[in-house]
Amino acid sequence: MSEVVQPGLELLEQQNRFVSNNMRRIFIQIYRIVRNVSDAQDLTQEAFIKALQRQEQLKDEQKAAHWLSRIATNTAIDFMRRKSRATFCELDEAPESHSESPEQELLRSEQRNYLEDGLRLLSPRERAALILRDVEGLPAEEVARTLGCSKATVRSHIANGRTKFQRYIERRKR
Amino acid sequence: MALHAGGDLGLVERLRTERHLAKCDRCRDSVAAFTELREVLPELAEIPEVPWNRLASEMRANIRLGLEAGECVRTGVPGEAAEVSKLRRFAGGRTALAFASVVALVGTGLILEQSSPVAGPLAGTAAAKEGPLVQATENGIQVRVGGSAFRLMNAGAKSVTYSARADGSMGARYLDPETGYVTINNVYVE
Repeated sequence: MSEVVQPGLELLEQQNRFVSNNMRRIFIQIYRIVRNVSDAQDLTQEAFIKALQRQEQLKDEQKAAHWLSRIATNTAIDFMRRKSRATFCELDEAPESHSESPEQELLRSEQRNYLEDGLRLLSPRERAALILRDVEGLPAEEVARTLGCSKATVRSHIANGRTKFQRYIERRKR
Repeated sequence: MALHAGGDLGLVERLRTERHLAKCDRCRDSVAAFTELREVLPELAEIPEVPWNRLASEMRANIRLGLEAGECVRTGVPGEAAEVSKLRRFAGGRTALAFASVVALVGTGLILEQSSPVAGPLAGTAAAKEGPLVQATENGIQVRVGGSAFRLMNAGAKSVTYSARADGSMGARYLDPETGYVTINNVYVE
């Protein structure tokens, strides 16, 4: 049976630090695209494994964080593409919140479902572009860099995303 | 109009659009609708309450496991290339002899790896005919009891590493060609 090669202690500490510093941010970024906690957890793990397998990219912390964001977004987009059109209901394991009334919680939940239904109508790239631009508030140049495409392509994704979403809202109002 | 509402047009396009909006009520309404949409979308930024400490611990452990699994299935250990380059190179007969020894060793290893390892009671013995038999086949790990067999398939992977253990279990390690994930199967018989 082959032996597992253990990285040096310094490398291990560098990897652990990289994971700790970026994990929550990446998890939230992925969750906002895939809208499911379990999937976001799996994809966050996948993104970090992909990133940490390229040690040479981690030398500059700022560049590494940006590069990790790009891997995370592409991982989420690839997942959305592979995902079947059939959806499965999962029991939510989140603890109950007692900070708002049941009516407020129901309204908030309905509003969230309403918006998430609109998101499902977009292609994975349109969805990612819209989330990064209008939810995360990144400028278009940053969105283009994260998605690895030109500014013109990103603007096209953003325009299509907003248009489809707006049409969905108008249909629901009727 | 969708881009104008988000301030995503270039200078020339923006000026041209604003000139048009001064004269077109319909497009002005459209921009207003897109602006309203952009005010609502940030609600998608909310994430549900999650047990973050538990999630983070699980993710850290799985990331470490994934990295170690990746090291195992990779062809050649990454550090080896650097180590070899540090070794002094000998010219002439010594190099040829060393090279020939390495080739013989690798060849023997490959031959041994090709044969299907068998765990459980020794094949061919009387005990093997009675008890369950765990063995690697060309496309998975098989448990045979008498005339019946159960097989755990390797999902079409081409390069599979099998390992037989002293406790009678069999393991298979490979890269799933469909998902790209490292997959580790362990079969035990009790």
